[in-house]
Amino acid sequence: MKTTSILRNGSALLAVSASAAALAFAGLAHAQNSQSPSQAPSAAQTQNRPKTLDNSGDPTLALTGPLRGSTVAPAGSAPPNPDPKDFQGVWWLKGYEYMLGPAPGVEPPLKPAYMEILKRRIRAKNRGVPETDTSTQCYPHGMPRLMESPYPIEIVQTPGRVTILHEVAHEVRRFYLNQQQPKDVKLSFLGHSVAHWEGDTLVVDTVGIDGRSFIDDEGSSHSDKEHIVERFHKIDGGRQLQVDTTVEDPVTLEHPYSYSRFFQWRPDVRPSEYICEENNRNAPVNGVTVAQ
Amino acid sequence: MTSKTLSLLAPVAATAVALAALPTLGQAAPAKHPDFTGAWIVSPYSASLKPIDGKPAPLKPEAKKVYEQHLAAAAKGDKTWDDTSICLPEGLPRIMTIKEPFEIMQKSNALYFVAQNRLPWRAYFNEKLPDDPDPMYLGYHVAKWEGSKLVIDSAGFRDVSVLDDKGLPHSEKLHLTETYVMGKDGKTMTVTYKIEDPDTFTHAWTAKASFKRMPSSFQFPEEVCAEKLQTTAPKR
Repeated sequence: MKTTSILRNGSALLAVSASAAALAFAGLAHAQNSQSPSQAPSAAQTQNRPKTLDNSGDPTLALTGPLRGSTVAPAGSAPPNPDPKDFQGVWWLKGYEYMLGPAPGVEPPLKPAYMEILKRRIRAKNRGVPETDTSTQCYPHGMPRLMESPYPIEIVQTPGRVTILHEVAHEVRRFYLNQQQPKDVKLSFLGHSVAHWEGDTLVVDTVGIDGRSFIDDEGSSHSDKEHIVERFHKIDGGRQLQVDTTVEDPVTLEHPYSYSRFFQWRPDVRPSEYICEENNRNAPVNGVTVAQ
Repeated sequence: MTSKTLSLLAPVAATAVALAALPTLGQAAPAKHPDFTGAWIVSPYSASLKPIDGKPAPLKPEAKKVYEQHLAAAAKGDKTWDDTSICLPEGLPRIMTIKEPFEIMQKSNALYFVAQNRLPWRAYFNEKLPDDPDPMYLGYHVAKWEGSKLVIDSAGFRDVSVLDDKGLPHSEKLHLTETYVMGKDGKTMTVTYKIEDPDTFTHAWTAKASFKRMPSSFQFPEEVCAEKLQTTAPKR
């Protein structure tokens, strides 16, 4: 099998597989985080924090640390398109959260049964035997997890459509403009998305998401009833794309929750080939993924 | 196959090429050129990419041996030579001539080709092919207009793919020149493939394929090759 080398956010990694790359990256992120005292919460902040998995005091529930910061396009790169409704080009997620809850380090508001499943998955990960998920089988990541990927994305706008080409696992999201969701949506890992403009904000509605995927890398569950609304708009003179995401799922969540993420304008980057199937050394065995 | 040592610097060229002069994206395609934007499917389908002069593909002896091995293995139900059977990319031009629709998104600075949710490829206007590219499944592409014809020049391919469903081989020296011509009604197009590969063929040759537009209501279903793999993959 071939070795693929990947340069991500200025850190060179020799990735043995997509999954291993993610694990390695997460480890790097954790190291960076733990070495950055300025990132640590103050005592007052800690006292006021809600009780979460992140501060449970149970080491078996330790979350994978986030990645902070991002790389901006070098000086002299093409400037952002001044049209506020033109999102076309390459963008790169700022930071990288392993858990996609309402705030960094805070888990989604899972119902008790699904919180227990999340704990089980986190403990399995911390034992070095993470449970099988879609990405380790080279299936699409699912939503909203795909949007939280430390790889570039490219947005293309054509009549009636907005398309996101993700470098990771060459996944594609197609948003059909000014259409209603069909009555009978066939389940798929990335769901069916319709979109419309509200001023300069693109509002994307996604349903029909296969419940076998996770909300996030830690393993928060969603069901086939998951419904995601994303609001995309440019900020910072077009140098950033803000995506406000609301996740609702009457099966696994106590209530809907929202979070915001930011993508950096990166005209200097061209997405490359990412072929999970070529070197999937983390293919699951008996339902368990073990780095080999 | 050219043995190429991948260095940590190689993906810098492949992934993060600094393109300070890259034109701003997002301008609509000029009206004077046909707009290939939309979903297409080959019609009629042919498993073989054949020279338009009616002669067999001018394979060199070693390459002919490989091709005949592919044919013989396939006749016995053995497709282990075919990387697509384990969900690896088809390569070009095969990714366009299989029995699956693909779409073209045409912008003034680039064309995007996406077959369902398979590996996409991009052809950039006003650029040159890289001199010594790190080979990729789908290679590197530049586009230009010759009147109403769209010409895409491609190179930098890995040699692990084949040119058609029958298993016609190629090397890393494959240089593909595609010429796209829109039909008068805008519902069909023909693509001429000029194939140059001095390690595989005795001389350059040309093939042709026709395509029809998918209905405007067509939406690409999600395709998860790896999911099918568990039952269909050949044993290796």
